[in-house]
Amino acid sequence: MNRYFTLFLGVLSLLLFFSSGLMAQVRPIAGKVTLATDGSAVPGVTVVVKGSTAGTTTDANGNYTLNVPRGQQVIVYTFVGLEPQEITVGSGRSTVNVVMEESKTELSQVIVTGYSELQRRDVIGSIASVKNDRFKDLPITGFDQALQGQAAGVQVSQSSGTPGGGIAIRIRGNTSISASNRPLFIVDGTPVFDGSVTSRDFGGQNDNSLAVVNPNDIASIEVLKDASAKAIYGSRGANGVVIITTKRGRNNKTSVTADIQRGVVQLIGKPKLLNSTQLVELQRDAATAAGQNPDELGLIPGVTDLVNTDWVSEILRRGILQQYQLTASGGTEKTRFYFSGGVRDEEGVQLNNRFTRYTGALNLDHMVNHRLKFAANVNVSMTQNDRIKGDNFLDGVYSGAIKSLPYYSPYDEMGRLYVPNDPNYPDFPNFNPVGQALLPRFRTYGLKMIAGVSMDANLTKELVFRSKVSMDYNNGEEDQYEPSTTAIGGALPSAGGKGYGVYSTSTQYTLVNSNVFSYSKSIDDRHSLNALLGNEIIHTQARSSSVSGRMFPSNQFTYINSAGVVDQGGSFYAQSGLVSFFGEVKYDFKDKYLVGATLRTDGSSRFGQNRRFGYFPSVSAAWRLSEEAFLDKVKFLDDLKLRASYGFTGNERIGNFQYLGTWAAAVYNGNTGVGPNRLPNNNLQWERTNEINLGLDASMFENRLRLVAEVYRNLTDKLLYSEPIPLTTGYGSIQGNIGTVVNKGIEFSVSSDNLTGELKWSTDFNITRNLNNVKMLAKGDTLYRGYTASGVGATNAILAGQPLGTFWGLKFLGVDPATGNALYEDINGDGKISSEDGQVIGNAQPDFYGGLTNRISYKGFDLSILLHFMYGNKVLNLTKQSLLNAGEDIETNQEIAALRRWRKEGDVTDVPRYELGNTYNNYQSSRFVEDASFLRLKNVVVGYTLPARWVQRVWLQNARVFVTGTNLWTLKRYSGVDPEVSTLDGSTSAQGIDLYTLPQVKTIQGGITLSF
Amino acid sequence: MLNRKVSFLYKVLSFTAVLVSFGSCREILEPPPVDLLVDDLVLRGPDDMDPVRIGLYNAVRSFGSATIFAGDFTPDYIQNNGTFTDYNELGTKQITAANTLASTLWGNIYSTIYIANFIDENIGKVSRVSQDEKDALVAQANFCRAYAYFIAAYSFGDVPKVTTTDVQTNRAIARAPQSEILALVREQYEAALEKLPERWDADNATLNKQFATKNAARAGLARYYLYQGEWANAEKMATDVINNKLQALDSSYVAVISTEFDAESIFEVAYGNTSSDDPGTSSTGLNNILVGRREVIPSNSYVAQLINVHAGTRTATISFSSANQQGRDNGWTVTKYGTPDQGNNNITIFRLAEMYLIRAEARAQQGKISGSSGALADVNVLRKRAKAPLASFTNQALALSTIETERLYELSFEGHRWYDLKRTGRLNAVMTAFSQNWNEKYKVWPIPVTEMQTNRNLKQNDGY
Repeated sequence: MNRYFTLFLGVLSLLLFFSSGLMAQVRPIAGKVTLATDGSAVPGVTVVVKGSTAGTTTDANGNYTLNVPRGQQVIVYTFVGLEPQEITVGSGRSTVNVVMEESKTELSQVIVTGYSELQRRDVIGSIASVKNDRFKDLPITGFDQALQGQAAGVQVSQSSGTPGGGIAIRIRGNTSISASNRPLFIVDGTPVFDGSVTSRDFGGQNDNSLAVVNPNDIASIEVLKDASAKAIYGSRGANGVVIITTKRGRNNKTSVTADIQRGVVQLIGKPKLLNSTQLVELQRDAATAAGQNPDELGLIPGVTDLVNTDWVSEILRRGILQQYQLTASGGTEKTRFYFSGGVRDEEGVQLNNRFTRYTGALNLDHMVNHRLKFAANVNVSMTQNDRIKGDNFLDGVYSGAIKSLPYYSPYDEMGRLYVPNDPNYPDFPNFNPVGQALLPRFRTYGLKMIAGVSMDANLTKELVFRSKVSMDYNNGEEDQYEPSTTAIGGALPSAGGKGYGVYSTSTQYTLVNSNVFSYSKSIDDRHSLNALLGNEIIHTQARSSSVSGRMFPSNQFTYINSAGVVDQGGSFYAQSGLVSFFGEVKYDFKDKYLVGATLRTDGSSRFGQNRRFGYFPSVSAAWRLSEEAFLDKVKFLDDLKLRASYGFTGNERIGNFQYLGTWAAAVYNGNTGVGPNRLPNNNLQWERTNEINLGLDASMFENRLRLVAEVYRNLTDKLLYSEPIPLTTGYGSIQGNIGTVVNKGIEFSVSSDNLTGELKWSTDFNITRNLNNVKMLAKGDTLYRGYTASGVGATNAILAGQPLGTFWGLKFLGVDPATGNALYEDINGDGKISSEDGQVIGNAQPDFYGGLTNRISYKGFDLSILLHFMYGNKVLNLTKQSLLNAGEDIETNQEIAALRRWRKEGDVTDVPRYELGNTYNNYQSSRFVEDASFLRLKNVVVGYTLPARWVQRVWLQNARVFVTGTNLWTLKRYSGVDPEVSTLDGSTSAQGIDLYTLPQVKTIQGGITLSF
Repeated sequence: MLNRKVSFLYKVLSFTAVLVSFGSCREILEPPPVDLLVDDLVLRGPDDMDPVRIGLYNAVRSFGSATIFAGDFTPDYIQNNGTFTDYNELGTKQITAANTLASTLWGNIYSTIYIANFIDENIGKVSRVSQDEKDALVAQANFCRAYAYFIAAYSFGDVPKVTTTDVQTNRAIARAPQSEILALVREQYEAALEKLPERWDADNATLNKQFATKNAARAGLARYYLYQGEWANAEKMATDVINNKLQALDSSYVAVISTEFDAESIFEVAYGNTSSDDPGTSSTGLNNILVGRREVIPSNSYVAQLINVHAGTRTATISFSSANQQGRDNGWTVTKYGTPDQGNNNITIFRLAEMYLIRAEARAQQGKISGSSGALADVNVLRKRAKAPLASFTNQALALSTIETERLYELSFEGHRWYDLKRTGRLNAVMTAFSQNWNEKYKVWPIPVTEMQTNRNLKQNDGY
């Protein structure tokens, strides 16, 4: 450590050496800079005499004193995010007070990047920025939802309609097969845990730890997309970096804002299923075809179908969504604050499903003196999530309801729920989905704290040192009880039939310390140099425990204290660490030629002994053509910049101790021994992504039309994969860095202020095309992933020349009109259909995706409409493999499409004949792969801001009412309800599978915002 | 002024130094693993012997249920009643190479062999342990290897002969002829027989039945000779086990069904009687598949054969519940595998009754039908215990067909049927009558598709 310390001191003294200045024949000018909107003082404004190097900055109170040469001079005031001002000062004037306005153009907006901030116009890298006004009215749970359709290169897919559920964000495609593909999320400088805190399986849908950060406390979200922007995050940067900046107080009078939102939530649609009569007829056909007597199977028309239950409607409801928030912000010259408290309560569309969140935020800034500033941020949130089993769970609620046989009923004639051991209880595999919703308790308590303190010391005018200690603390507790009236607690023999309870806790926290020197210097108004040098230590710990009990005295006893048998439990502990050093240099000449370079070195506990440290450099350059003389004549052009970057990033999220060869606990008759667990690999390392980005930024017609276009190529090699090896080795796989994935793409965004008068109309459009391709795998292997699939082994494959998320199966050629059997392609021509006839049958990656936002305002009225689209992606509809199963079993209801099944010779149809027990006609095949392209009316917001003269009478500063609708309309070709689902939440190799997954919900809500 | 500046700077830097040192580099970059043992340390000293032994039996246990899926679900004992495709394929005789039960069986057989090979390779390096203790561990490895290869050879036909723990060798290995594997089985059983103890503990039945003993090796050899048609050897081995009286027939057949470590058990793979060491809701857990999910149920033809006066008390192998009888469910349930609370979640590999049946068949094949050393006497030992009318065959053909049925009464759902029908050559005759989908290729299971995909030197069995 000492060695690096010396390095710091060395660099420091070097930087100090630069910063000596010169004095001339001068007179003093003093004044104060304030903000036009609220009259507050603006500290940190750069004040220079035009054409000279003489300059200063305003202090904490906005005051400045500047020595200017004698005679008439022009003084220039600049500050990021504010319109620059030039004021001509006569020789007699000694006081100049300036009022500055917030800048109208995006180009001067502040962008937060890795460890620093800069103006949009100075960005060399590829950074998308989404400000709070884009999502403040939306009924979103987490900020990850806020990015959907808003930024080019950012693909956001919601895995299901479960509140507080998982969301997949992919920035410029999928880089990894088995390490995480989620970007790095940084909240106020703290890397935050983004996965699921809790460990219990709910059938595929996870909880989302990002849903606990209140989006209304967020000021802006920046997405870093290319190497020059994110290489400073080194081994964590390959999947992109999302930087979240929370709101902070300003130096002005205190303002208090209350937000009230209330709405209703319902499913966007329901599957179309058979009724009892149709199903009995179908099942009789299936039984007869299999040579069985349907009467003996109890399938008797007029008897069996006396009951007809619409199970999906039985388990659904219209949920109420409400959200309340109070914020106060303000400050004095020395101290500024922002605090907020909020509560959100969302009833899911499934009975008994509910997500409640309480959030609090406190951000404080304090200037000790002109040299020293302290800042603190605390974000706390507490959630209670009443969860519901779903997807790949037989005893799930929505999953149970769509497959349950309609000739059973949830309630008896007395209105009591049917429960296990009742004569009319459906039992395995259908149970009673209504009971499965109402009776168990699956409560997850979450606690997330993001807290940090930092100190900024202005060592000299040019050199700032910032040290920050922060933490991200996540705690999840699962309190679960399934009474004897449920599937697990009652019908499952191995649990004993008298209730089953689980209590588990998990804690995941990260401690971070970063120390950064930043240096900025401009010389002659021509050369501008910015540099930073820092180190960072990150320590992460995960702890968990769980205990389960069964055999409860009765269903009134629901905690494990009362359990008769407590014979399962566990605890676990893991830690990992990252030690890093990084630096950045940026230089621009006359704002015309910009160059930059970054380097980070990361040492990670996750890498093998031989590969402990990795180096991640990047270089970038930009050329502002609009500053060149030859473009002076192009009057409509305000700004035109070409930029390029090249560099390396990594992905270290490969799990702990993967490089060690290990044996783990193995049990035999209650005695514990050891069994082989994993093969060693000392060369295990981070995945490495080599990135090239070319971009063009243009702004024209007085900044009314702004374009950003980018092309990129990201090549990820050293892919981490647990390579499957034959079981004859005693192991199923070996960890290695074995393959290459390439993402190539084009992004295009255009923003236009179509009308700027009293009637304002602006349009934002973005579109992205990303081509993902597995370029190479070790030994040309094909890796099989996803679910096991009948007939071919697995639902997904990873193979060279195909994108990640490729579906595998037989190619369905249609239904043989002569026999009614499915026809599959016999690819190897051996005269039989076997697993060797498996082939690529589609993939989940879209050809392109994007969003279109239109915003119109007139007087107090405003309207905003977001359309989100995705095109060319496929869904593997495994729900259909059960709901259109060609008679494989008769335990599942079938969808309406089964009515067009093959019945007699000559029928031409796409649904094979039904024969009970026949698996051949239901093999995993392209019959279940469907076009999942969609165009969705994602958000509509209509608002009205009450005229100031009305509201001021009641002591209000501002009042706005609005109505928001989400997911109101979807254009799709998909035969299921919703193409935007993924049963394996977070999966890359098996994304885009619909297996009884709950569709998205549509929300309509009204809201009021009042400021005092 | 200058002084103040320097001291301020100094303060800032010392503050930084404190922050930086709050975690030392080494501690952060090399945290020790928990719950894991680095493989160099697995088998080194006296304390390591028992954990590795437990690991070995854990591996054998892991293919216990798959042996029953192969032995009883492939032939005519069951019909499909659930939604898992794997079991549907077995129930409706549409088995494919993608069936994961095949890879469960195959994978756990080879993980057993891996640990056995690991023991062979590392036992020499173990310090402070007596040669006898080392021999005993190696003998158990021999036994487990023999049993694993026996099941492998009769389930898949030719299988790879893995003789090392070297990954590079084992990942490209080809199939060895079945005869070579079977020769190895015999050699390993014989080596085990030499060094295994007659019992592990004079009083502790659990230890003597959950770990291999000499009688387990003899029972393995008896079954091996029977399958090989070496009748005299089979008779001798079975007789050795019967005569040394270390096991005794349970007085009632109910004990066979519902008791663990019962008197006649020779070797059983054991689960704890807590839910933390029980297959629970695993998709290969016997109780889960047979009772919980009812993925498979006894076939109508099996029920018709078993519910017969000659089966006696052995009809308790299955039970009937009218609540279950709905749709295609005939209401019958296999009762041999219980929950941890019921205390019968173990899987019996060898028990004394099988020795009687092996000896009866070996004797019948040698023409020894009646008298105190004839097949009839052995069969009637079991009939008596089952409180069933005594058998009374007089010729070899009748003797053999009676023994086949007797095996159904006595040993059904213990993983024998498919293997028995194969060795007696009756497989196609019985199965063609049972299922329209039956195909001769089902005499062996397919090599798992995952193995085919990762090892190009493997060749698939005919027809798959």
